Amino acid sequence: MKPLTRAAFLSNFSITLSGTVLLMVASLLAQPSSLGKPGPAPQQIQKLTASAIQLERSDPPEDLLIPEDTRVATYENLILQLTKTKKFQHVYRSGDRTAASMPDLVILRLIPQAFKAGSQKQREVTTVTGATSIKVKIQFASRDGKVLREKTVEGKVRFYGENLRATYDLAKKVAAVVNETF
Amino acid sequence: MRTRIAQFNPGVSSKQRKIIRRLLQLAAIGAVFVATAASAFSQQLATRQAPQTTSIPHVKCVIGLESIKPNIKGTLSLLPNGLEFATGKNRVDISTASIQDIFIGQESRQDVSGPVGTVAKAGIPYGGGRIVSLFSHNVEVLTVEYVDSNGGFHGTIFVLSPGNATVLKNQLVAQGAKVTNHVQPPPQEQKP
Repeated sequence: MKPLTRAAFLSNFSITLSGTVLLMVASLLAQPSSLGKPGPAPQQIQKLTASAIQLERSDPPEDLLIPEDTRVATYENLILQLTKTKKFQHVYRSGDRTAASMPDLVILRLIPQAFKAGSQKQREVTTVTGATSIKVKIQFASRDGKVLREKTVEGKVRFYGENLRATYDLAKKVAAVVNETF
Repeated sequence: MRTRIAQFNPGVSSKQRKIIRRLLQLAAIGAVFVATAASAFSQQLATRQAPQTTSIPHVKCVIGLESIKPNIKGTLSLLPNGLEFATGKNRVDISTASIQDIFIGQESRQDVSGPVGTVAKAGIPYGGGRIVSLFSHNVEVLTVEYVDSNGGFHGTIFVLSPGNATVLKNQLVAQGAKVTNHVQPPPQEQKP
């Protein structure tokens, strides 16, 4: 094989370089709002303020069967996580009569959307199947029923851990939303 | 005469000794009998009282009791007026009147689990940890919903050995705890 001459090397190099530059420009142009026109500014979410929050129990739709231990674990984990955020002076439970005296009370509702019961054994044996997941819509509302903010959150346990760990994951994610919101 | 008396007295004393021995033997047998009967009677009493003060050790409280950390093991006892969960230091009561509902579920738990078990399974070469994961045991999950003095809703989850949750639920219902009719979802751990 003959070694390339200087002219041939330069021509090959220029072709490769120009091709690379073209690819880079094309990929940059393909991304909207990264070049040229600036995209919409990131939405500034106005933070809510409240000194107390009350976690309401909400029943799932009739066609959605969720084991009671999962619902209770979700509720209790969320109470613990809401207390840990330290965003509120009081975290009231559903039905607590003392919450009525709080002037700026926010009510948090969890509306179950989907539930998939997995299997711990299946998860640990196969690694890729048997995940447990629970999806809920969380809704912050004022005392008069006005919805202030809502978001859908999903808790999962994929690899190791008992099925109820999905409720802990869900509660942590809801607490993160509370931290963003308040 | 003295000699006769002397000879006679030893004869009498030997008979007395025999009588005393027999009496002592009878007394010993009687004492053994009384002791056995007393212990059997006390066992009968304990058995009769068992429904009122059932005590189940090594129960795991998954979550829901204030002043008790999640996933702590302790003793769950049925008192005449409700449930009591006791660990080494803490003790929490749930009165029967405050109970709103009771649920029982069946699940299975891995024989080797927890952070240490998981690390140990991961350390077994050639995927042997997965074989260990196949071994599991059935448990009963007792979920108790109750309200506090302010009307706030609480829920507590206990994991017990099979059969115990049903016994506790029946005894709580007999004490007057509220229970509603439930639609049972399919068991979670029926998949192979």
